[in-house]
Amino acid sequence: MNCNESRAAIEADADGELDTIRHLELEAHLRACPDCARLAEGARARRAALRAALPRFTAPPRVVERIRASLMAEEAPRSAPRPWVAWPSWSVVGLAASLALAALGGYAWGRSRGRGDVLLREAVSDHVRSLQAGHLMDVVSTDQHTVKPWFIGKLEFSPPVADLADAGFPLAGGRLDNLDGRNAAALVFHRRLHVINVFIWPAGGTQVGARRGRESGYNALTWSQGDLNFMAVSDIPAQELGQFVAAFRGRTQ
Amino acid sequence: MEASAPKAPQTFEELMLPHMDAAYNLARWLLRDPHDAEDALQDACLRAYRSIERFRGGDGRAWLLTIVRNVCYSRMRRGRREPAADAFDEDAHGSAHDPGEANAVEWRETKGELLRQALEQLPLEYREVIVLHEIEGLPYRDIAEAAEIPIGTVMSRLARGRRRLQTEILNLAGRVPRP
Repeated sequence: MNCNESRAAIEADADGELDTIRHLELEAHLRACPDCARLAEGARARRAALRAALPRFTAPPRVVERIRASLMAEEAPRSAPRPWVAWPSWSVVGLAASLALAALGGYAWGRSRGRGDVLLREAVSDHVRSLQAGHLMDVVSTDQHTVKPWFIGKLEFSPPVADLADAGFPLAGGRLDNLDGRNAAALVFHRRLHVINVFIWPAGGTQVGARRGRESGYNALTWSQGDLNFMAVSDIPAQELGQFVAAFRGRTQ
Repeated sequence: MEASAPKAPQTFEELMLPHMDAAYNLARWLLRDPHDAEDALQDACLRAYRSIERFRGGDGRAWLLTIVRNVCYSRMRRGRREPAADAFDEDAHGSAHDPGEANAVEWRETKGELLRQALEQLPLEYREVIVLHEIEGLPYRDIAEAAEIPIGTVMSRLARGRRRLQTEILNLAGRVPRP
C-alpha cells in the first residue's frame, strides 16, 4: 500500500469499514510511514472525541407512550398468529409436492409439535436477525458451484445448493447459522425485493417432515431429504414459498 | 422453556419500538429542538404504521430513519428553518481558510461543548451523516439506505463534514480569524 492508497483507507479504517486484509495492509504501511501514522492517529482521536462529546438523545418515555396510544387508536389489533398446520392444500402447483411430502415424513411432526413451534420461532427469529444485523451472507455468489464448496470444512455435512434463477428465485449466497442447537447452512435466495432463507441441518434421526407454519407475518415450510432437515422462511406469500420449495426440491433431489 | 425461547418481532410495535431512540436522536439533531423532534417522531411513527405493507422486511431501523428524515425535511421546508444550508460553497470556503488536518492532540484538547456547538451549526447534509455515523454508529451502507443516497456520497459527505466541523471548531474557539 502506498501513501495515496493509505490516505484513502485511513478514514474508512477509523470508521470500522475496512475488511481485515486491507486493514492489515494499512497497519503495515503505518508502521513504515510516520506521516500517514500521524494522520491515522488524528482520525482515531477525532472519532474518540466525537463519540465522547456528542450526546445521543433518547426518546422521552411519555412520547413513546403517546405514540403507542395513537397507534392503538389507529386500527384494530391484527389477528392472532396461527400455529403450524400441515401443508399444503392451497394450490395445484403444490399438490404433487404435497403428496410426496406427506408420504415422506408428515407424520413425524405429530409427536413433536411443541418442539416444532420452538423451532419455527427460532428460524423466523434467525431470518429476521439475518436481515437486521446486516449479516445476510458469508459467501455472496449467484453460482451454486461457488456457494456449495464454501461450506466444505465449515459443516459436518454437505448441503445441496441450486440456483433457481430460471424459476424466479435467484441464488444470492449462503452463510453459517445455528438452528435447533446445531450448526446449520443458510442459503439465501431472492424473490423480487424479498429474501428467502433456507436453513439446512442434519436431522440426526429427528426428521421435521413436511409442515407449513406462520409466525409474525413470516411463512415457513419444512421438509426432510435423506438425513437432512430443511426449512424455508420468507415474507413472501405462502403459495409462492410453496413454488420455491417445489423448485428447490426438484433441483436438489 | 417456551418463555425463554428467542422471540421474533411480532407486531409493528415490536418491530419499531426498539428504534425509537435512534429515530428521536436523528430528529433532535436535525430539528435542533426537543418539542419539534417529539412531534416529528410521532408523525413518522404514524406514517410508518400506515405504510407498513411497503416495508420490505429488511432493517426496520433504516426504514424508520428514512421516514423520520423525510418528516424532518418537510417540517423544515414548511418552517424555513434551515435557510443557508444548501447555499454553503464547499470549495470557496474550504480553500481560503483550510486549517489542514487537526492532529490527535488538538482533537483530544477540544472541549465537548465546543464540538456540540460546531455540529449544531454544520449544514444539514453534513450534520445528518455525522449524527448517523458517529453517534448512532450506523455503517456506511445503512446510512446510504436511510438517507437515500449512494454509499460514495455518504463517504464524501462524511469527509467534508469532518473537515467543516474542524473549521467550525477553530472558528468557535477563536483560533482562526473569520473571513
